[in-house]
Amino acid sequence: MSSPLLSVSGLTKRYRRGGKTIAAVDNVSFHIEPGETLALAGPSGSGKSTIARLVLRLVQPDAGDIQFKGEDFLALGGATLRARRARLQMVFQDPLAAFNPRATVARVLDDPLRIHGIASRSERPRRIAALLERVGLSPDLAPRAIHEISGGQRQRVAIARAIATKPSLIVLDEAVSALDVSVRGQILRLLLDLQREERIAYLFISHDLGVVRAIAHRLVILDAGTIAESGDARTVIDAPQSAIGKALVVAAPKLDRTGP
Amino acid sequence: MSPLRRFLRMPEALAGTAILAVLFAMALAAPLIFPGDPQAIAGPALLPPFQDWSLPLGTDRLGRDVLAELFHGARTSLAVGLAAAAAALAVGAIVGTLAGFAGGLVDDVLMRITDAFQTVPSFLLALAFVSAVGPSLGVVVVAIALGAWTGPARVARAEVLSIRERDFVAGARVIGMHPLEIAFREILPNALPPVLALSSVIVAAAILTEAALSFLGLGDPNRVTWGGMIAEGRAVLRTAPFLSIIPGVALVLTVLGVYLAGEGVIETTAVRRSLS
Ligand SMILES: Nc1ncnc2c1ncn2[C@@H]1O[C@H](COP(=O)(O)OP(=O)(O)OP(=O)(O)O)[C@@H](O)[C@H]1O
Ligand SMILES: [Mg+2]
Repeated sequence: MSSPLLSVSGLTKRYRRGGKTIAAVDNVSFHIEPGETLALAGPSGSGKSTIARLVLRLVQPDAGDIQFKGEDFLALGGATLRARRARLQMVFQDPLAAFNPRATVARVLDDPLRIHGIASRSERPRRIAALLERVGLSPDLAPRAIHEISGGQRQRVAIARAIATKPSLIVLDEAVSALDVSVRGQILRLLLDLQREERIAYLFISHDLGVVRAIAHRLVILDAGTIAESGDARTVIDAPQSAIGKALVVAAPKLDRTGP
Repeated sequence: MSPLRRFLRMPEALAGTAILAVLFAMALAAPLIFPGDPQAIAGPALLPPFQDWSLPLGTDRLGRDVLAELFHGARTSLAVGLAAAAAALAVGAIVGTLAGFAGGLVDDVLMRITDAFQTVPSFLLALAFVSAVGPSLGVVVVAIALGAWTGPARVARAEVLSIRERDFVAGARVIGMHPLEIAFREILPNALPPVLALSSVIVAAAILTEAALSFLGLGDPNRVTWGGMIAEGRAVLRTAPFLSIIPGVALVLTVLGVYLAGEGVIETTAVRRSLS
């Protein structure tokens, strides 16, 4: 059997707040196979975003181990880590906050191509146009400022930036939560298409079990930094075992049990 | 309403801009209107103003044309003021960005250095530096900047501390951007507006410091300066007060102009930022 794409074990992160320490993430273990979508769900403050930031090496864990593509990801640093980041990308919840307010669409997409030496300077405009088309946007948007396009278009640009370096795994932290329902459906479809065609794995963070059910293969439900239950996404959502799982299912608005 | 229209509606800002415009015109026109050496003797000594229309503001103790000196002095004041402020803002922005972005030991060391510079009165610092190195235009600029960069550094650091927590900085790290590029290309331009808001005060202070150094005889000896003119006039303050009053008024108007125009710009851009 081949080793998983990402394997996390015993991940722990504590924050000190007002004298006492709280474990935002407490001994969490999971793994993701190539081309698979693993969803992380849980109430607010259960540690979902913290896990995303730990996996992306934006914060350092207090304990635990992260293996990415068979490599000790926590041992990497400096230029090696920056190079490896090409394979592990992220899409944020608020697409406006995720981009430099002074940037244009073209610059946002130019950065990863330049940093990872994917295309020469003269070749990049063509690559940027291709990326925009890949996510269903017109290449005419390239010269626009980030704040001059709609929220849905912006999230597509964020996805275009994430796939620019041909990653194996994209972490999506509430990536569709801020979008209108109609736009949300389109973005989810885009994500499914990309996954099918490029075999990208997703770590999909969402509090919306309806969305999770539509896109995820497996689901991990978190509660106060620990794993409450996990398993096949539909199985867990249709028959949650943990108290928190049941509460989340009850709270989910008109859960679509038929699936996509 | 466009920012320009709003700016034009503020009388103080307009007055400040008008003063600055006259000043810049004087500085630029000085070598054309008074092509000769302004320090050359042009007529009888101590000629009062408005007596001889070829020397409208009269002459000083050595018979030098006061108007020519005033024009050439505007050049020095503006050049030194702008250069020193630009140097102070650039150094402050860079130090503040590095301290705020790097954090930890780098932050501690840089802020300790900033503290040290801030505890010494900036004029004493400038005085000591010019006395040690010797007066020339470049040295005066560095001397003034030495005491003026700490304010911008603190403001830049505070701004960077809040910006570095924002998602787009995390996004830049995720795409593998080098930390220096993140600091100077992603963060610094966004931290700049409040730093630049200090520029009018810094330019005004730099012009005053330059005048004070020149008054003490520590200005560039090869250039006419208003501070130097005031110092010259002091010897004959009772008999020819105009020799001190004219450059003194020019200095006050300049500082006022810089300040008023600067405040106007800040006010209009602040409104625009709060609207967007
Ligand atoms: N930088 C930090 N400093 C202190 N505490 C933090 C920090 N980041 C997160 N926490 C705490 O860790 C816990 C988990 O936060 P996290 O953001 O991971 O939750 P979440 O599951 O993403 O919540 P939400 O659904 O609201 O986004 C919370 O109690 C939070 O207050
Ligand atoms: Mg979160």
